[in-house]
Amino acid sequence: MRLSRRGLLRAGLAGTAATALGGLATGCAVPTGSTGRDMVLWYWSGGLSDTVVKNAKTRFDSSVDLRAIQIGGQYRSKLITTITGQAHIPDIAGLKGEDMAAYLPNADQFVDLRTLGAERYKSRYLPWKWDQGIADDGTMVGFPIDCGPVAHYYQYEVFREAGLPYEPADVSRQLSTWEAFFDAGEQLKKRVPGAQLLTDVSSVFNNVVEQGAKRYVDKDRHFIGDQEHVRRAWDLAVEAKRRKIVSDLVSGTPDQLSAIEEGKLPSQLGASWASFDIKNGNPKTKGRWRIADMPVRPANSGGSFLSITKACREPERAFQIITWILDAANQAQGYVDAGLFPSTPASYDLKQLREPDPFFGGQVTTDVFGPAARKIVVAYNSPYDIALGTPIKDEIKNVGVLGKDPKKAWSDAMSKCRRIAKHLGVSY
Amino acid sequence: MAVIERTRPVVTNPSPVGPRTGLRKYWHLYAAISPFYLIFLGFGLFPVGFSLYLSFHRWDGLGSMEWAGLSQYRYLLSDSDFWNSIGNTVVIWALATFPMILLAMVTAVMLNSAVRFKSWYRVAYFLPNVTSVVAIAIVFGSIFSTNNGVVNAVLHGVGIDQVAWLNTPWGIKVTIAALMTWQWTGYNAIIFLAGLQTIPGELYEAARMDGAGPVQTFFKITLPLLRPTLLFVLVVSTVTGLQSFSEPQVLLQTSSNDSTFAGGPGHSGQTMVLYFFQQTFDNNDFGYGAAVAWGIFLVVVLFSIINWRLVRRRGD
Repeated sequence: MRLSRRGLLRAGLAGTAATALGGLATGCAVPTGSTGRDMVLWYWSGGLSDTVVKNAKTRFDSSVDLRAIQIGGQYRSKLITTITGQAHIPDIAGLKGEDMAAYLPNADQFVDLRTLGAERYKSRYLPWKWDQGIADDGTMVGFPIDCGPVAHYYQYEVFREAGLPYEPADVSRQLSTWEAFFDAGEQLKKRVPGAQLLTDVSSVFNNVVEQGAKRYVDKDRHFIGDQEHVRRAWDLAVEAKRRKIVSDLVSGTPDQLSAIEEGKLPSQLGASWASFDIKNGNPKTKGRWRIADMPVRPANSGGSFLSITKACREPERAFQIITWILDAANQAQGYVDAGLFPSTPASYDLKQLREPDPFFGGQVTTDVFGPAARKIVVAYNSPYDIALGTPIKDEIKNVGVLGKDPKKAWSDAMSKCRRIAKHLGVSY
Repeated sequence: MAVIERTRPVVTNPSPVGPRTGLRKYWHLYAAISPFYLIFLGFGLFPVGFSLYLSFHRWDGLGSMEWAGLSQYRYLLSDSDFWNSIGNTVVIWALATFPMILLAMVTAVMLNSAVRFKSWYRVAYFLPNVTSVVAIAIVFGSIFSTNNGVVNAVLHGVGIDQVAWLNTPWGIKVTIAALMTWQWTGYNAIIFLAGLQTIPGELYEAARMDGAGPVQTFFKITLPLLRPTLLFVLVVSTVTGLQSFSEPQVLLQTSSNDSTFAGGPGHSGQTMVLYFFQQTFDNNDFGYGAAVAWGIFLVVVLFSIINWRLVRRRGD
């Protein structure tokens, strides 16, 4: 008994010492980036086409071992943790569009793609998308993967029953202003009992803001969320509520999904990737949907980038891989595999994007998304946009869902923004 | 430490080898308990200390840190959203904890006297606690949905109007509280059951001889002797309840692209930890996030002290 206990203690000690020493030793030797022939690529599930990634592996096999890793969960947190920790930083990193505002002020963590000859490729990509990957100081951080042009999804039969235009071209032409769109909503409500055009006021507010070239904070770190462009979006959202063309449901809930299935919510303003949400959420509505232009002009929602980190030992090779993965032909494959709408206009004429989609009654959806993608205007994406846009978005939601007085809601939003702006050092 | 103290007399005895210091003589004991402390040091104490350091800075997670002094804490005190999240958390905690303790105690008393299928019941009551919160929240989201939910169907059956559970401030709180009650009742019933079984049977026999009824027995014997267990249950549910996160997060997330940490319309279901996540990870404001985390810590400490005092004083 004594012996075995002592033995156990010794073993425990030896184990602990080994772990501690080993930990210390490796602690000193943790490589900043990849090792050996490895070229590590970080992306997330659905962030790139798996087929293209696999092809890239074989294609560049002679020079590097491309190790593509799908990172689950909170992607941005994991990436910035790795970069801050200076350990095992990937050579090539995917960057989500909504996170760009957080990366761009730290452009020094990435390789400036201009130094690798990125300008040569510029003409092949959507100009506004190209600009989104560039930091204030001109450093090009992100190389365009996909974009998310927003369009008007609607149910053909319901529109027809309501006496509204129902062919995509007619819907695009006749519902081309918010005024006409809201009128259509009122007509729908009258003709189809219990039906409402949109799920919530937020979809009006967010899309009107996103359509414009300004958001909440400008380049000079000045709060502009109290200006005309936001005010107008707010007023339109309030009008949608007043005219009762929006439901009081929450998107993504069982209530909303069943309302969509019953044709009670026949419209949605969604990005190109939203077609996957509709297909998954309402598989029974197959064939009932069509896609038309969003009123006024298209907006963009989502879409991501590839970047080369400072830890990369072979930036030229990495850039070669990136430009190959994201050329027009491979982006078309990305559209088929993962619904990534190409940022390369040349892809729009390729056969993968010309397939009629039975879910949308045989419509070729690229006919809507393609031209929409070219018409998007770029807005300055400030790192403070999320903090200062949230109070306004929250308050418009309160108006829509809780029935809060719009005047009170607006002044609450503004006083909250003033406080947050002061805290973040944004001038008001 | 306990090991050292128990063996201390050995050291005081004169030994032929001569006096040896504690560390040299008992190094293998220290070594044996060291893994926990080393791991705690690396993954517990260091992050805690670092978050305190962080809370005096401005940091976006990538760039350089900027000294901010006490400004994060000053802003925290004036942040109505933070106070609102404390209010939400406390209301949800109260709505969940008191019914839960009552139900758990009743369940425990019944389990204690159940004659058949005793262990089957115990397993069944424990199951909700080991089920994934995410799965439970998805199911509760359906149960409490406005048009197709079971709860509203039942209400409709007895002639009460539909309630938009997940779309009104109180509905949201009640739904989250219901979920937490469901999840923790069984677990705490098992704890109470363990407490009940430590009460000597003679006390009950004596009470019966003196002519006490079951209600009187419960209040005069069971409850006073169960006080330590009650304290434990209360402290544990305070600590877990005040840190609730997954329940509102999964229950109230929407498919639209607004924050998953917003806690529903009007932030009605935004608990303290959800608010912490929103500030840290949505806004990329790690310095303020750290300050919020320390604010949460103080609130939890405060509640634990209140709990302790309340239950202790009545016991003495």
